[in-house]
Amino acid sequence: MLARWITRGYLAYLALPIVLLVVGSLGSLWLNTLLPTGLTIRWYAEVAADPSFRRAFVSSLVVAAATASGCVLIGLPLAWSVYRSSAPRVRALVRLLTQLPVALPALVLAFGFVLVFSSDTLPWLGSRGLLIAGHLIVCLPYFVHTVLADMRRLGLDTLEDAAESLGAHRGQRFAFVVLPAVRHSVFAGLIVVVALSIGEFQFSNLVAGFLNRTYPIVLLQAFYGATGFACAATVILLAVALAASGLGAFAARGAGPRAAAVPGA
Amino acid sequence: MSESGSAAVALDGVSFRYPGSGAGVHDVTLAIAPGELLACMGPSGCGKTTLLRLVAGFLAPDAGSVALAGVDVTTTPARERACGVVFQSYALFPTMRAWENVAYPLRIRGMEAEERRTRANAMLERVGLSAHADRLPRQLSGGQQQRVALARALVFEPRALLLDEPLSALDAATRLTLRDEIRTLQRDQGIATLLITHDQDEALSLGDRVAVMRDGRLVQVGVPAALYDDPADAFVAGFVGRANLFDATVTGPEMLDTPFGRLVSRPLGRRAGSRVTMLLRPERVGVDGVAGAPFEANALDVDVLRDAFHGASRRLIVRPAGSNDTLDVQTAYRGVVRRVRIAPDALHPLPEAGDAAPSPRAGVSSASASVRPFLRKEIP
Repeated sequence: MLARWITRGYLAYLALPIVLLVVGSLGSLWLNTLLPTGLTIRWYAEVAADPSFRRAFVSSLVVAAATASGCVLIGLPLAWSVYRSSAPRVRALVRLLTQLPVALPALVLAFGFVLVFSSDTLPWLGSRGLLIAGHLIVCLPYFVHTVLADMRRLGLDTLEDAAESLGAHRGQRFAFVVLPAVRHSVFAGLIVVVALSIGEFQFSNLVAGFLNRTYPIVLLQAFYGATGFACAATVILLAVALAASGLGAFAARGAGPRAAAVPGA
Repeated sequence: MSESGSAAVALDGVSFRYPGSGAGVHDVTLAIAPGELLACMGPSGCGKTTLLRLVAGFLAPDAGSVALAGVDVTTTPARERACGVVFQSYALFPTMRAWENVAYPLRIRGMEAEERRTRANAMLERVGLSAHADRLPRQLSGGQQQRVALARALVFEPRALLLDEPLSALDAATRLTLRDEIRTLQRDQGIATLLITHDQDEALSLGDRVAVMRDGRLVQVGVPAALYDDPADAFVAGFVGRANLFDATVTGPEMLDTPFGRLVSRPLGRRAGSRVTMLLRPERVGVDGVAGAPFEANALDVDVLRDAFHGASRRLIVRPAGSNDTLDVQTAYRGVVRRVRIAPDALHPLPEAGDAAPSPRAGVSSASASVRPFLRKEIP
């Protein structure tokens, strides 16, 4: 009974700011009252018409898409080779390298980027490429972990041994066995990556150039203006994030129950 | 190497050690004749799966050579060795239907779509699964999945069939059915087969010959009956079937001093005073309901310590009067057991240390003075 009330209380606590944001975004005036007065969609129209928000929205999508592509191109082979590596030292090293960004605040990474890339030899600070590179470092560990866990669960090494004994070379094994087997977790991992990339603030705030600022950074500016405008802008970010996690849940369900993989003796 | 010319699979002095550990196989020489099923058994960690992986080409030996059908394949990658491998975990491709799994090796070999579908279906029919050709692996039971795996391993006419504990993940009933099916299929295809198992019953009933491994070495290779009746040492005796093993002193040409008193044996050909380890299979011990009869050679009054009913037979642990050691007895007798009889020819001496050709170091001289019942294997 108590547990149920605690759960309800916690859910309400989680939902309240979101509900208030939605309410605020639809209210025409919200100054000193508990709730705003008047109903309007004016703020959404204003956000949609604002050139800096439009630019930031597009920039966020481009960065997220590029980060996701990078994760597949780098993360998938990385996860595969870590999974297949028999040398404990290689595994330990890669584990450390991929976990470091999780432990390390993105802020530290950003400072590093600012120091290195504001030099004359590497004057790339503010470029979109650099922003994407940073997002890749922040997001890659989550992607690799997701895929790696799935490979272990599937017993992919035995599947590959089977394919190899049947005559498949490395490329054929990757295309016919590895890729189809892990496709659900790759998708689920990408959803996490996109959600992370779209919401990323710490790193982007320091490294992004003025013209390729991402949505969360521009959003911060909005809070210096009208409340309704800021609320509407935040709700849009929230909607994108929710859509991403909804897709993730859908993808995870699509993975469904699979044949139990008994680890090889 | 002279032998490998005719053998389907030949290992010659093969050694392999896993990096960073002592485990592996050591100096294994073994040949499987065309059409023969060799069952390789041993406790977990004895190197039997490593042996299979060396034949399949998943591992490269540190020393020695592997040959298939007379061709040295020591450095040939697994995908070019054409060995059909069946794994304990089935290892079916989860996104492919049953027939696509079976057709996969044909697809790799560039066979036309129509042709490979026909062949795959024919092979599925052989394993009794043509009705399930369009199912995904997760829609099949464990036994069905392993049948698909078997069909996939045989469809490309491999040079050898390698079975890595194929029945271990299945329930008892399926295991027995599939065991017979594997045997029939293997005979029909006439394919040289290496079966890895930890189940002695499986090894004895399936194998044309059985190889027993321990600590990465072959201890004994022979036909099942030879392994059972004439084990090379105490380890094989205890591992293959159940065994009473005890040390005895030879006191005459046909006379022994044992922990159970003086017993008459068949002629042993050992000199008086020498120590010998005796093997007595539980089912060779006769039982009687009447105790304290007048003196009779090799008859012992006993106390029953444990009595387990197994349907067709009973397993008893009995202690002969005046002895501290126990005997493992298997009998169909239903009455109260008061006395056991040990026929002279039921007492089998194990080879002396140094006699056992494959592995002298596993000799019997280390056998302890007391009875060592090897009770780890259950009678099914």
